[in-house]
Amino acid sequence: MPPTAADDTAALSEIIEHVAHLLPAQGPISIFIHHNTLHAFESLPFEEAVVRAGEKFGCEPFLPEDEYRAEFLRGRIADADLELALREELRDQADLPVLGDISRLELRRRIARHGLPQASGPALSWLLKETSALRRYRGDLPPDAREALSAAGSEDSAAELAGVLGLWEACLSAARRSPQSPAQEPAGPMPRLRDLILESRGVDLDAWVHPLLIRLVAAFLDQGLAHWTLPGRERGLYDCFLDLYSHPLASLCGRWAAGLPPLLKEERDLKLYPMASLRRSLEALGVRPEERESYLEATILALRGWGGMVRQLGKRPDRVPARSLPASLTEFLAVRLLLQRAALAFAAGSTPVAEFVSSLRAARPGAAAPSLEERAWPLFHTAQLCGLQAAQVADLTAEQACAWEAEVREFSTVARRRVLHAAYERHLRGRLCDALAQHAPVESPAKPAFQAIFCLDEREESFRRHLEEVEPEAETLSTAGFFGVAMYYQGATDAHPRPLCPIAIRPAHFVEEVKADPGSTAVRWRSTRRRGAGRFGKAVHFGSATLAGGALVTALLGPLSIIPLVLRVLFPRWARAWEGSLLPLETAPVTRLKLDRAPDPPPIGTHSGYTKAEMAQVVGSVLRGLGAADRLAELVAVLGHGSVSLNNPHESAHDCGACGGGRGGPNARAFAQMANDPEVRALLAGEGLRIPKATWFVGAQRNTCDNSVDFYDLDLLPKRLETRFDAAAKAFARARRHEAHERCRRFESFPTSAGTGAAVSHVEARSHDLAQPRPEYGHATNAFCIVGRRERTRGLFLDRRAFLVSYDPLKDGGGTLETTLSAVVPVVAGISLEYYFSRVDPTGYGCGTKLPHNIACLLGVMDGAQSDLRTGLPWQMVEIHEPVRLFMVVECLPDRFDRVLAVQPDLRGLLERRWLFAACLDPDSGALWLREADGYRPWRPEKALAAVAEGSLAWYGGKRGHLPIAEVMGAASKEGRA
Amino acid sequence: MSPDEALRTAVLACFAAPALALAAVAAPSFFRRPLPEGRAGAIVQTGMLSCLAALLAAALLWDRAGGAPAVLALGGGWVTGGAFAFDLVVDGWSLGFAILSVAICGVVSAFSFRYLHQERGFHRYFILLVAFVLGLLLVSLAGSIEVLYAGWEVMGLSSALLVAFFHERPAPVESGFRVLAFYRIGDACMLAAAALLHHWSGSGSLAMLFSRSGAEAALTPGHAAAIAVLLIAAAGAKSALLPFSTWLPRAMEGPTPSSAVYYGALSIHAGCFLLLRASPLLSQSPLARGLAASAGAATAIYAALVTRAQSDVKSRLCFSSLTQVGIIFVEIALGLKVLAFLHMVGNACYRLLQFLSAPNILHDIHELENDLGGSIAQAGAPAGASARWLYLLALERGFLDGMIERCIVQPVAQAVSRLDRLDRRLCGSLPGLAREAADGD
Repeated sequence: MPPTAADDTAALSEIIEHVAHLLPAQGPISIFIHHNTLHAFESLPFEEAVVRAGEKFGCEPFLPEDEYRAEFLRGRIADADLELALREELRDQADLPVLGDISRLELRRRIARHGLPQASGPALSWLLKETSALRRYRGDLPPDAREALSAAGSEDSAAELAGVLGLWEACLSAARRSPQSPAQEPAGPMPRLRDLILESRGVDLDAWVHPLLIRLVAAFLDQGLAHWTLPGRERGLYDCFLDLYSHPLASLCGRWAAGLPPLLKEERDLKLYPMASLRRSLEALGVRPEERESYLEATILALRGWGGMVRQLGKRPDRVPARSLPASLTEFLAVRLLLQRAALAFAAGSTPVAEFVSSLRAARPGAAAPSLEERAWPLFHTAQLCGLQAAQVADLTAEQACAWEAEVREFSTVARRRVLHAAYERHLRGRLCDALAQHAPVESPAKPAFQAIFCLDEREESFRRHLEEVEPEAETLSTAGFFGVAMYYQGATDAHPRPLCPIAIRPAHFVEEVKADPGSTAVRWRSTRRRGAGRFGKAVHFGSATLAGGALVTALLGPLSIIPLVLRVLFPRWARAWEGSLLPLETAPVTRLKLDRAPDPPPIGTHSGYTKAEMAQVVGSVLRGLGAADRLAELVAVLGHGSVSLNNPHESAHDCGACGGGRGGPNARAFAQMANDPEVRALLAGEGLRIPKATWFVGAQRNTCDNSVDFYDLDLLPKRLETRFDAAAKAFARARRHEAHERCRRFESFPTSAGTGAAVSHVEARSHDLAQPRPEYGHATNAFCIVGRRERTRGLFLDRRAFLVSYDPLKDGGGTLETTLSAVVPVVAGISLEYYFSRVDPTGYGCGTKLPHNIACLLGVMDGAQSDLRTGLPWQMVEIHEPVRLFMVVECLPDRFDRVLAVQPDLRGLLERRWLFAACLDPDSGALWLREADGYRPWRPEKALAAVAEGSLAWYGGKRGHLPIAEVMGAASKEGRA
Repeated sequence: MSPDEALRTAVLACFAAPALALAAVAAPSFFRRPLPEGRAGAIVQTGMLSCLAALLAAALLWDRAGGAPAVLALGGGWVTGGAFAFDLVVDGWSLGFAILSVAICGVVSAFSFRYLHQERGFHRYFILLVAFVLGLLLVSLAGSIEVLYAGWEVMGLSSALLVAFFHERPAPVESGFRVLAFYRIGDACMLAAAALLHHWSGSGSLAMLFSRSGAEAALTPGHAAAIAVLLIAAAGAKSALLPFSTWLPRAMEGPTPSSAVYYGALSIHAGCFLLLRASPLLSQSPLARGLAASAGAATAIYAALVTRAQSDVKSRLCFSSLTQVGIIFVEIALGLKVLAFLHMVGNACYRLLQFLSAPNILHDIHELENDLGGSIAQAGAPAGASARWLYLLALERGFLDGMIERCIVQPVAQAVSRLDRLDRRLCGSLPGLAREAADGD
């Protein structure tokens, strides 16, 4: 019985839902959330996932081989790392001989270390004819191989020539003897018709369809850039498309579009649902039912940026201003297939489409078998690397030659890069293990001058270290930077509310910032003026693009714009000051957070504000997680963070990951306000968590771009704490200068010899500079996540590479570790993996260089005039990043960690499939256990930990690149200071 | 030094400074020893600053000498008959446009110096930018049509190469090629104008075109009209007037500052400047005048309509800039030279600023919305019976791409492939060539 239309529709929507998982999960760029680029492949082991995804997306799984090889030279990978990585892969097969008495491990080690030049076809003929490949041995042979090869002849070049030629002949004959492996070229999945036509006729249907489709989808998704909105877009993309392009004028879009209006008119008259239209189009395109999935997958991936954005807006309309947009992937696909049909009909010319399609399918060429030279070429190189001479190669039997060839083929470039990458990561993990195992814990002060709670962000590592260096009496702690306050937030000057919490949470609470004194004339005058400025700005923004308005603006204001132009480009810091003084904003009005539960319905979310019980819950769980509930100082600063930069579409990617790409200041402020609330404290005391009466929390926001720290609600600070606060603020200010200086060492345009004063002005200028594509490096270089007490890391120079999470194993009554990890892991794994992929393939997974980026729809960036929406991170953000999977060290015993994994299958899966690595640090001793596939392996330190006594500057001063971990403020040096 | 000599030296210096900078940056790169970024940047900046200083000095000297247009003959007479001349003309217009150009390029080079930091192609970018400055100087100070043509070509080439700056992707290269193709149409018109000018007047001096009396004396009205129409076509191609406008949005492929300086500020106004200079010629020929005015007006209306449906920041900017360029053409055709010049300066500076801060649009709109207290999106859309096709027309940019494909590309491609087939058939019959032709397949 043929399937009914309803069954078929259900099956199709399942297929669409399935292939949609491959689309990038990046949402609007102004709310940038780091996520695993290959989230759809998380169910596979990492090494397999990157290869499979690479094939699907046409992207790279690892760095290029040469980059790894360069790392051997600077000691970033040691030969021992490579050997261990190989042994881990080959296991008990490592020592089997494969070529004479050379073992598999040895053969692979040599190939991995020195590489095989890839060449085939005409490129290979050129190499053989025009270069010295057949006249000289490779220049980069290992010494023993060179010795073995030159032993045959003497050093002179005539003998070498004979030797090389003989070896080449021997390799050719070995390849001839070794039976040709069967051409393993099964007919791959059905490629898109576009690919078949491009291959056979050199006509690119995408070049016809994409410009139109991109313009249409962009107009549909636009969030306020265009003056005109797409007519009728509230009815959906499919309807709009039929309506607009069935107009006879649309046939002018190009020669191919001649048949488009009639096709669409016919479609419109059928009054189909998008899904039904999709089904009809698939039939018309000659796609067989069993091919639907692969066909739709290839189709959807051809414009994956735009497709992904359609899907994201359909799923999370709360993240954009135009919330009522009915974005649906099915409609997007239906439109695309209709366009494809029109294009195909034109390409087919007078041939009926069905006939055209089947002739295309029949003509698919298969892959050619490799030639003899192509097979001998890698053998020739491995023979040289192993120091084999012609005679030795000639002695190989057919089976031996076959085994040799198979081994070399199996160790393909992807396999080589996989092993090199494993060695590259292993080395880095080893250095952290060494450091943690050897570092003597530095106790935090028993009665700290103040405590500062930071986000776990790795950029806070340096700030905390410098704060502790300038004020040894301070204690620093850290947790996920939304401080448990998951909310929709609307600032007093914000036009729209936005979510401030990890992406996995859809907040229920709405919190508003209100002016403390809304009735005062100053406040009212100010807001009137702002409205006026806004109206004027809007008039200029839109007017400058029109006929008459533009003439007015350009002829009258135009010549004046040379002043801001010159100032902003040549003197960014002055321009900032000048603009500030031109439009004096007086003192910003005093505001408060409206935190308490109010009965009025919120504009978004389900509740306005929090009840006291909810507040107590938030405060209690954060303080318990920090392990600091019983030793609160009198002054506790809570610091959220954000980043302010100009001309940077990816600005929000530098904001707080735990706040869903928002700035965490309001969360810190809300947390402080909750923790200061006497009713909340009373409720907490009832649960046994006693916050001392003398304790006061102050919220703050730290700008990671210009390193400034702004405190909130200082007018509420109790008088008795003022001196204490002033001292703390001074320490913050000093730490800021030092940290700015440390950050600047990574910027090539900052001389390493300059001092801290210059560093502060440098980071401020960067933050306000229109011409600066690298305002900061964001999460670049992140590599570790350490969950444990600060004393285990205090005094260690971690080079801004470690996410630090406060967790006290001694105070964990059970459950704290679980809560901590479940909040932390998704955020840090997302950041680490996004950076990994954007660095490994900067133009495939990343969005390439920023320089030609063009903001579309206020939602994302395109390359240049028009392109797919580019997702991932730009090159300028990842250029200094080392792509490594995150290494997480948790301060607990292995069996405790296993108990966590038992209840957290997601984390367990990530670890087992090696998307991240973990180790346990013994809370009592320095012992460290690495979690491996078959259990925990104790770590034996390999290298001594470097130490300098004079603080961070002594270690990083004058240096640019990644630095080893070192002890910069050991117990000894701290005493020396005191 | 006599005032004349001083002026001459200053004008020569304004060419020498960027030329030396160009050589100093390009030569080491040519020998694959590119200068360190800092040094290359310093050389370019010094070149731009000295050029600006020389121009300002020239302006001062020229003003002190009485402010009458001065022609500097710097050479020529290489070809028998002395018809080819390297003449420069120094007057208010030429100095004004030259100073504007160099000042803007100076600011943009300072911007680019940080923006392109550590980019592959850093040197290539600055070499092209300095070449562009030289081209602009030649165009603005040209006293003979040979000089004008040389400058025109240098500008065109550097802008096409900068569009194709990211040559590892196909789209920029295609767009660069398209820009070049349209520029060539304009260049061909200018070359024809040059040939006709020489033929009819016996000299390539522009001085006679740039002054009313000169133009009337040297050319008959018919000749003047023909040359004016050709110059309008040349200017129209460079300024992306209709029907050439299709290359403009595609030119947004290069790094942001290059899009800014070429299509926001200078290259797009070079056509306006040419027409401004040749306006005495226009006043002689109502036909040319009408053509310039109608092309300008049509472009302004077209671009203003198209702008409304553009949803990416760079297309929106380039069409809003084009709107004003169209109006400037109309102003010139109406003889409002001073207004046109001011409008040109204003549009150049304003669009440059908008382009350079285009990546900041999220920030800007966010602040605007906060000030307004609500969304900035306009619910505007064309209404009424014509709404649908008007919107479609705007979204599809007037179907220019499709029409050009149909009316120009396709016929030309067909003709070329017919000629190719004919060529093969003819050559195929020749002994000895038959095999080569077959190999070439």
